[in-house]
Amino acid sequence: MKVLIIDDEEDFRTVASSCLGLLGGDTVAEACSGKEGIEMARSDVPDVILLDLCMDDMDGTKTLASLRENPETAEVPVIFCTTKGMFPEFEEMKKLGALAVITKPFDPLKLSAQIKDILKTAGFACDQALSVDS
Amino acid sequence: MRLNLQLKISHKGFILVLVPLVFELVFLIVLSVLLQQAEVEVQRQVRSKAIISQANALSKLFYDAGVAMGGYSITKSPLFSDRYDKIVRQIPLDLQELKGLVGDNDKQQLILGRLQTITSDGLKILGEAKAAIDDNRVDVAQFRARHMYKQIRQLADQLQDELKGLTEDERKIESESPEQQNRSRAAVKMFLVFGVVLNIGIAFLLLYYFLRSISTRLSTVTDNSFRLARGQKLRPPLSGNDEIAQLDDAFRSMAEALAEASRKERAVIENAADVICSIDMDGKFVAVNPASYESWGFYPDELMGRRFIEVIMPEDVPDTIRAVRSVRGATSKVNFENRVKKRDGSMVNVLWSADWSEKDRALFCVAHDITQRKLVEEAIKANEARIRNIINNMMVGLIIITRDGLIESINPRTESMFSTRSHEMLGRHVMSLFADARHFSVSDPNDRQSFMETLFTKALNRIGEFDCLSANGEDFPVEISLTEFVSPDGAVRFMASVLDVSERKEVERMKKEFVSTVSHELRTPLTSIRGSLTLLAVGAMGALPDQAKKVVNIAERNTIRLIGLINDILDVEKLEAGKLDMELVDVAVASIFERSEQAVNTFAANNGVLLDMKPSGEMVHADGDRLVQVLVNLISNAVKFSPKGAAVTVSSAEIPGGFIEVHVTDRGRGIPESFKNRLFQRFQQVEASDAKKKGGTGLGLAICKGIVEQHGGTIGVESEEGKGSTFWFRIPKAQNLPKQPVQVLEPAMQSNQAF
Repeated sequence: MKVLIIDDEEDFRTVASSCLGLLGGDTVAEACSGKEGIEMARSDVPDVILLDLCMDDMDGTKTLASLRENPETAEVPVIFCTTKGMFPEFEEMKKLGALAVITKPFDPLKLSAQIKDILKTAGFACDQALSVDS
Repeated sequence: MRLNLQLKISHKGFILVLVPLVFELVFLIVLSVLLQQAEVEVQRQVRSKAIISQANALSKLFYDAGVAMGGYSITKSPLFSDRYDKIVRQIPLDLQELKGLVGDNDKQQLILGRLQTITSDGLKILGEAKAAIDDNRVDVAQFRARHMYKQIRQLADQLQDELKGLTEDERKIESESPEQQNRSRAAVKMFLVFGVVLNIGIAFLLLYYFLRSISTRLSTVTDNSFRLARGQKLRPPLSGNDEIAQLDDAFRSMAEALAEASRKERAVIENAADVICSIDMDGKFVAVNPASYESWGFYPDELMGRRFIEVIMPEDVPDTIRAVRSVRGATSKVNFENRVKKRDGSMVNVLWSADWSEKDRALFCVAHDITQRKLVEEAIKANEARIRNIINNMMVGLIIITRDGLIESINPRTESMFSTRSHEMLGRHVMSLFADARHFSVSDPNDRQSFMETLFTKALNRIGEFDCLSANGEDFPVEISLTEFVSPDGAVRFMASVLDVSERKEVERMKKEFVSTVSHELRTPLTSIRGSLTLLAVGAMGALPDQAKKVVNIAERNTIRLIGLINDILDVEKLEAGKLDMELVDVAVASIFERSEQAVNTFAANNGVLLDMKPSGEMVHADGDRLVQVLVNLISNAVKFSPKGAAVTVSSAEIPGGFIEVHVTDRGRGIPESFKNRLFQRFQQVEASDAKKKGGTGLGLAICKGIVEQHGGTIGVESEEGKGSTFWFRIPKAQNLPKQPVQVLEPAMQSNQAF
């Protein structure tokens, strides 16, 4: 499973990519801003994008809207990653096309499985990922 | 006398007239009887005279008949014969007449019978003599004459005797009569004089008596009226029940009533709390009641003769004089207020009610002390001013509206809140103050109606949140509370207290932002720390020496605990503010059980505790994630306090009242009775060391309680020390018909905050 992590915090990117790569066996790409993330997603379309909601430059909502505008990335499933996890906002995000929200701090051991569960529930095929799931 | 006193005056008058009248009547009857007797006497006398005269005439006739017969026998002259015939014819007539006169006198009738016999015998003899003469039988005639003469003579004597006997009585009567008449006349005369005198006497006597009895009684009454006027004691009551006695009686009751009235009046005046006084033309006191001492400190005697304006405060004198003068003009009554200077120099507020009597040329006054009332009035005024001040300066806008929603009055705060002026708001419909006015028409009765219904539903006797519209077109949030009241005119009004909550909302927003910021700022580093530690612990970065792994595990475990604490604090914060976001949907109990089991499975296994999950088939109306949070919390607690190898039983069942009750039963040490009621409060642990030994923040049960109660449910515990505890909570059952449970998209979203 190819995961793109868009987060402006380097520490988080490192930990999350380690959890996914080392523990979940996923292919992880990292982007430090919304803008970079959009570009990276266009050049190499991921299976799923883990998008931070609160970023200084271009926040998650805007990034998502931008991703949806772009035909290459319009269909890519997006999971928000936030410390807030409030329903009104989540409702908004669902309207924008986000699949779910994973709240920080997450369980490092389960992060990969959690993402796959969400994709499976939403009906996305990720056989490769599932087969890799331990 | 006594009897007469019982009579009424009309009866007395009747007697006064009737007694002399009756007396007069009797007198007249007696008089007429006497007169009749006199009449009879006169008649008897007349008749006697006639009888005597007739008897004499008859005797003479008889004698003349004899003489005529003698003459005829001698002369044969027809002169005698005619005379004789005439006499013979006359005798029976006279006899008959005499008979009539005698009437029913038996003795005289007897005499008359004999007279008749005698005369008829005589006339028979004379007839025979005449016949003999006529037949020229002189001898016979002479013989007869001789014989006859004797007979005649005899008869004549007899006749004379009888007649004498007849007239004897009459003569006696005749001779007696004048004397008798005189006597009876005198008797009548005397009777007349006596009767008249007696009658007059009686009349006068009666008149005197009646006049006397009436006049003395009347004079008693008159005297009483004088006595009453002079105020003296009345004379004893009159006896009897005639008009005067009644008048006296009525007069006495009137006098009594007057005395009573005057006594009461005096009592009223003497005991009145108000000063009652009369003031003459010169403005001097002429009468003052004792209240003056109590009220003003002056005894009535001290005031008498003094000018009344002397007791009035100098500043009030001109107004007082004006008021008093007006009373002598058109009006006879006037009320005025002024201040009276008391003897001790203090003053009292007085309300004067003055009444001018033209007859007495005096002003009657009642002076009522209104100092207390003035004080109360001033206090009320001050209070009103204070309240007005409060209303004018309060930070809450007050709007009085009618039942139909028309604005009747507002306070200054309302003006500033809506950036408008009072005169622009009054009379308008209250709906125009609300943001709803943008979408609905204030002029449409239906819109107004439905708006008012909403307003009453949300804000009557409670606090409702609304968005208002200020005059400059800006929306602002308010809290409104409507209170119903009845205004003095009897109409129902509503007072809307409008609190501008813009600032509070702003603060709330800032607080929310702060909380989320803190949450973000704390969790972000913790996320990295935890992730790193876990990666280390699981050996993702290469195997660690045992000692290092142990330390890393400690770091990881405490990081997790710190994260749990932060989550719990944020939840408690939200629950207290009532801002815990919940999405209530119909969710299957089994799904809640399953998710909870997944979350605590590992933890239970690590503690060597078995989970016995027995969900029932109902659905509840709840926020699935929050319910999982509650159940995970309770199961975790149960696991923590269960001995190794024991089971924790989790079951559910429907209970009456539309609730589902969930039980979490452990075989732990149980909860002391004294602790049960504190169990669901924050930061409570049965033993102080529990936090360290068992982990946990002491907030879990408080959060559970908050969440369950926000669902409209209840939570509680039953426990026996040493035997274990059963925690239970009730959640409303799903009301709708069973349908597909709503898919919750983020199944593991909160799964990491169980501890």
